[in-house]
Amino acid sequence: MSLSIPKQASAFRKGGFIVLKGRPCKIVGMSTHKTGKHGHAKVTFTGIDIFTGNKIEEAISSTHNLEEPYVNRNEYALLSINDDGFISLISDAGETKEDLKLPANELGEKIKAAIDEGKELLAVVTSSMGEEQITDFKEDK
Amino acid sequence: MEKIPQIVSQSVLKESAELPDDTPTIQGYDFNEGIDYNRILESYKTTGFQATNFGLAVEEINKMITWRLSDESIEDEKDEDYLAPEVRKRTKCKIFFGYTSNLISSGLREVIRYLVQHRMVDVVVSTAGGVEEDIIKCLGKTRLGDFKLSGKILREKGINRIGNLLVPNKNYCLFEDWIMPILDEMLDQQKAKGIVWSPSSMIRYFGEKINDEQSVLYWAYKNNIPIFCPALTDGSIGDMVFFHSYKNPGLIIDIAQDIRKINDESVSAKKSGMIILGGGLIKHHICNANLMRDGADFSVYINTANEFDGSDAGASPDEAISWGKIKHTASPVKVYADASLVFPLIVAQTFAKHVDIFKLDNFQNDSNKN
Repeated sequence: MSLSIPKQASAFRKGGFIVLKGRPCKIVGMSTHKTGKHGHAKVTFTGIDIFTGNKIEEAISSTHNLEEPYVNRNEYALLSINDDGFISLISDAGETKEDLKLPANELGEKIKAAIDEGKELLAVVTSSMGEEQITDFKEDK
Repeated sequence: MEKIPQIVSQSVLKESAELPDDTPTIQGYDFNEGIDYNRILESYKTTGFQATNFGLAVEEINKMITWRLSDESIEDEKDEDYLAPEVRKRTKCKIFFGYTSNLISSGLREVIRYLVQHRMVDVVVSTAGGVEEDIIKCLGKTRLGDFKLSGKILREKGINRIGNLLVPNKNYCLFEDWIMPILDEMLDQQKAKGIVWSPSSMIRYFGEKINDEQSVLYWAYKNNIPIFCPALTDGSIGDMVFFHSYKNPGLIIDIAQDIRKINDESVSAKKSGMIILGGGLIKHHICNANLMRDGADFSVYINTANEFDGSDAGASPDEAISWGKIKHTASPVKVYADASLVFPLIVAQTFAKHVDIFKLDNFQNDSNKN
């Protein structure tokens, strides 16, 4: 299965997903410019990398294509953090998943603190463009 | 006969003082003598009004062209590099030449190119449009329109108006296709070699890349004449830099380098002249550089601006003297006129008449280098 599908630049919408400079991003800013003194009609995008949170920008002719990434989000109950940094997760269907590490950022620290406090957590796992990472969590009540 | 009241005779019939004998007499051209453009233009000086200012501007520019350091007393020379007679004979007045964007859009571009092509001017100042429209004219055509064409209809058709000239949007698309890879190259060189670009070094690179003998920028590159443009981003080039920053961010354009360079040009000149077509940035930037040498020696302004609003565009040469931008001993000229009308005629009476001197000088300078 392909990781993304091509789409004409002008067809993207704010809030949607887009591949900017090879990274899957959520579109937080988008503006269109008619043909004029600045040259061809074009669209500028500001995206936030869904994994790293980095800001990425791109400008492209309106009629050119950019890729829209497939983005999947699944929730897992978080069982434990292992000594090697990997996390044990279990889905609603009872399947275990142990191939993800605790994210090495602020989110990871928050998860670790919540586990240490003995809270039951649900981890949100996002996958896109062949990458997979915990991108959010909530308390399981 | 009734006597004229004394008050009337005193005011109306007041006796005149004698004007000095050398005061010019107003006399225009007599077409009974045939159509002789040179003599028509020579008659301007005694025609009055702006025709006289035209004549004075011609004289002032001819002074810039013919002045040599050897004309000045060697006793005042403090710089030992300038004591040799052959050096003094070779040292000319440095001419600062400025023009606004609209003039490059107009047919004055060809006149300006002629001056730069034959190294008749030494330092150029323009605005963003004065840079990019020269390049764009190598890629697409600027057409004749009309001052009265409807902006709304032109917008719908994707055509931009500059006075009675028209530039289609297509030309700017061609410009985008041309300049984007060059901006990429500039950024690559900045990252790889640590080159910090300035407006004048970018313009030089554009001139090298456009490689077209119709272009002012090409000849400026070829003849090593700097073109300064502190507001390089105020036009289509700025639009391109804006969009380029989305694609490929990080390009630095350093104006600090250029203010150093243009002021050094002024300070190092033995004599300096200013020819400024139009107002705004180009006028002030040249004058400001000449402030660094306690004023220009020769000055010609050609513009239509007035001074009642306090703008620098309309400021007279006398205002510039108050700032030290023009020497108080100078005889500057302002011609109140549309440059498109008078500048080709001024060039005809000045630079074009001396073209052989320039060609010889350029030949000798090239031979000295080799």
